[in-house]
Amino acid sequence: MRSLRRFLHRVVNVMTGRAPDERLREEIEEHIALQTEENLRAGWSPVEARRQAMLKFGGVEAMKQDYRAERGLLFIENLLGDFGNAGRTIRRMPGLAAVIIVSLAIGIGVNTTIFSWIQMILLEPLPGVRGASNFLLVEPRSETSGYPGASWLEYRALRTQVPALRDLVASQMVPFNVGETGQTERTHGQLVSGNYFSALGLKPAMGRFIRPEEAERPGTEPVVVISYDYWQTRFRGAPRAVGQKVRVNGRDLIVIGVAPREFQGTMLPLKFELWAPATLAPALLGRTRDLEDRSVRAFSLIGMLKPGATRQEAQAEFSTAMAQLARDYPEASAGIGGEILPFWDTPRGPQRMLISGLAVLQSVMLLLLLAVCGNTANLMLARGSTRQREMAVRVALGAGPWRIVSLVLSENMLLALLGASLGAAMAVWGTTALRVAPIIGAFPILFQTRVDELTLAFAILLGAACGLIFSAAPAVHLARLDLGDGLRSSSNTPPRSRARRVLMGVEVGLAMVVLIAAALFLESFRSARQTDPRFQPEGVLLAAYDLSGRNPDQASEREFAARLLERLRSLPDVQAAAIATNVPLDLHGIPARPFTVEGHVRTEAGQDRAISNTVTPGYFKVMAIPLFEGNDFAEMRDRAAPPQAIVNEEFVRRYLKGADAIGRRIQTRAGSFAIIGVARDSVYEAFGEPAQPAVYFSYRDLPWSHGEIHMRTRSGNETALTSEARAVLRDLDPMLPLYDVRTFSQHIDRNLFLRRIPARMFVVLGPLLLGLAAIGIYAVVSYAVARRTREIGVRLAFGATSGRVVLQIIRENLGAITWGAAIGWILALVISIHAITKGVVNLPVFTGVPAILLGVATLACWIPARRASRIDPMAALRHE
Amino acid sequence: MKQKTDVLQGTLALMVLKTLDVLGPQHGYGIARRIEQISGDLLAVNQGTLYPVLLKLEQEGAIASEWGASENNRRARFYRLTREGRKQLQAETQDWERTAAIIARFFDAKAENLS
Repeated sequence: MRSLRRFLHRVVNVMTGRAPDERLREEIEEHIALQTEENLRAGWSPVEARRQAMLKFGGVEAMKQDYRAERGLLFIENLLGDFGNAGRTIRRMPGLAAVIIVSLAIGIGVNTTIFSWIQMILLEPLPGVRGASNFLLVEPRSETSGYPGASWLEYRALRTQVPALRDLVASQMVPFNVGETGQTERTHGQLVSGNYFSALGLKPAMGRFIRPEEAERPGTEPVVVISYDYWQTRFRGAPRAVGQKVRVNGRDLIVIGVAPREFQGTMLPLKFELWAPATLAPALLGRTRDLEDRSVRAFSLIGMLKPGATRQEAQAEFSTAMAQLARDYPEASAGIGGEILPFWDTPRGPQRMLISGLAVLQSVMLLLLLAVCGNTANLMLARGSTRQREMAVRVALGAGPWRIVSLVLSENMLLALLGASLGAAMAVWGTTALRVAPIIGAFPILFQTRVDELTLAFAILLGAACGLIFSAAPAVHLARLDLGDGLRSSSNTPPRSRARRVLMGVEVGLAMVVLIAAALFLESFRSARQTDPRFQPEGVLLAAYDLSGRNPDQASEREFAARLLERLRSLPDVQAAAIATNVPLDLHGIPARPFTVEGHVRTEAGQDRAISNTVTPGYFKVMAIPLFEGNDFAEMRDRAAPPQAIVNEEFVRRYLKGADAIGRRIQTRAGSFAIIGVARDSVYEAFGEPAQPAVYFSYRDLPWSHGEIHMRTRSGNETALTSEARAVLRDLDPMLPLYDVRTFSQHIDRNLFLRRIPARMFVVLGPLLLGLAAIGIYAVVSYAVARRTREIGVRLAFGATSGRVVLQIIRENLGAITWGAAIGWILALVISIHAITKGVVNLPVFTGVPAILLGVATLACWIPARRASRIDPMAALRHE
Repeated sequence: MKQKTDVLQGTLALMVLKTLDVLGPQHGYGIARRIEQISGDLLAVNQGTLYPVLLKLEQEGAIASEWGASENNRRARFYRLTREGRKQLQAETQDWERTAAIIARFFDAKAENLS
């Protein structure tokens, strides 16, 4: 208690910085004056009286020291002093400090940004939901077909049979057509169980959420919860939105509440706008089987672990429950077990892929940061060697090794923390920039990464770790300084540091690999844009429609497509129109279907698969893909023709060995089809892909509720078709929205979007690494040169020209650099031949990059070497 | 920086408290004089060491100080015992007496008394 009070006093004294010395000085004076008077009374002479008084008082300075130590916290005060000192030192070397801080900031900023992504996926998988990492996916798993989802009745059974999980929640993703007749728009929502919002622990931003009893019996409560964004954009955030009606799939639903701002649903990274009770499925989708049929597995389940329960317990309970269901309902549940998975391991999202990619990226970036630390250590060593004298003076005046270490440490820590702060600011900027970047596509996707306390702590921790790493060498070096040596001379010949040279070589090698990779990547990206897709995307407008809310049968789907095409083809500006189920170069890829074909017997295990697309007649005309043999598909309303298929050249080459294809039969799960034509190969999934076998089926034979309209314009301005196409569709079905309208060129850009991210990253990383390598070389060479001032002085004094000195220094250092560069070059070559270009060596890249790198390296050697060669030999020698 | 004599500091603090208890508010010199008179040579040299001890006691709350006028009408800092200090003095006096008694008995003990 007493010592606590004493400590508090000390802290207050340190913080207020009150001058203690004034009071003490007065007290001392008074003390000595009183003693002197006493001595005078005892008969001393005035001078002697005062002298004796002072003798008796004792050493004033030593006492003052004790007094000060008692008064404040010596350790803290020293530290504060050190930081002040460090600040002044850094201000004296603005250029060097800027280089260090900026390179650290880049390293820490990139690492922090990546960390914020990892953190989002691992720790906060559900934005807006607290403690979301406690939620687990509850996935039925089929022996043959992966994760099929759960049926509604299965969900209701499981709710009571997995006691380790609190509140099992079910949801299903559904497309909604929202709005009044003729002005509908397409959004995505979730049909959810009654406990959905309460189990997630959400609080409505407005109104209330769905109650459990509202999701008990089918079709009773026509209520809907809207997202915060939807509330803001469609209702302008007005409170009276609650209670209003919205028309969803032709039914009126009452808005009862608004979800919290950050909440975007439970199927990340998809962003949903509406949540309605699952029991509305029959009313909204016309699908009664969703709620009654055990073989319709439409729902995904999640649940939170009860406190104290483990995932293993939940897994065991879930397996038991699924086994029981399989016994009770063999026709729907036989062979279906179950798995409990964390969110980042979801079988349905990109999380798993992202996490492994991010982990690799993070390790590479941490290595890069380590290289930055190495550079900084070298730079600080180079500077430290010029400060030996200063440190020697400090030691001579009584500073212990710890004081020296703390001095060096505080300087480096200040640099590191400045770098970390700047890095954190960069990370904030980076995550915000990435967050607003819209990821367009058929589905709305949103990644909510942000920099929070944990991310900031990560940045600061990285900064502190960096500071420690690059202080270690100079601190140890200076603390072990031999006093006499340091005072006497400022430069004696140092032991050559092998470690520094190796570091330099490794950095150059690393830079070489990344630069070559970056260059190759950019080359492929650039050539991708120029590659001929072997169809003609210019002048084609794409748009989608979806009849799935109507529960149509095949005949009505076929009829709808036929009528739609008739109307579109009658538009004056439309040269050709067609409908397909898939569009080449789609972000989500094109499905490949298993098949067997007459005349080809597969010898190895597995099934033959080919890219498959279902198209209406006229498709090849719109796409400008020539048919080499045979004819286009039969007309949509032709009932006589047998099921048809058209294959591409590669299909004929690979499976029919070039034999005549026309008339052969293809067998798939959907039935048997006769080949009636052969189309030219084109690009299906990615630019630069090897030729792929493909089969086109006819929309007439396999009609679908969903279609991608392709229209080729006559005038060349395809966007002008948008409003006409909308009018046509509205005419056919006023409740059906046309969505995802884009030109084919925009569609291709979207595909390239994902490839552009790594391309951009390499564009940033390449020069960054080059710069870092240059700084590293500069640091090593200037350190070496600084330690050899005398030697260089002697050489110059004996008549060496400065040119020769420069040349010698460059030659000495270029050795390690060349080694590193050569190893990096060979590594890059091997990787390139085996993985990227498959045997083709891109000569300009493999000669250009080393030339640039070695040029920069030579320059980085030349600058300090030239500075060293310019010293006046007399000054260098007298310096000793 | 190592404290030279923790024992000296401890006893010095106790002496300061006792002095203030007996004499009432005193300035530094007065305290030093009193301790010198009673303890002989403990403070004969290095009277200055008193001041860090005074500061420590003040920061602990055992004593308080304020400016006042000395005998010859000069500004001097006067220290007085606080209630807390009085309690501390009592406690430490008892401790000290107990320790002293034990030590005394220990030194008095003769071999035959122990057998």
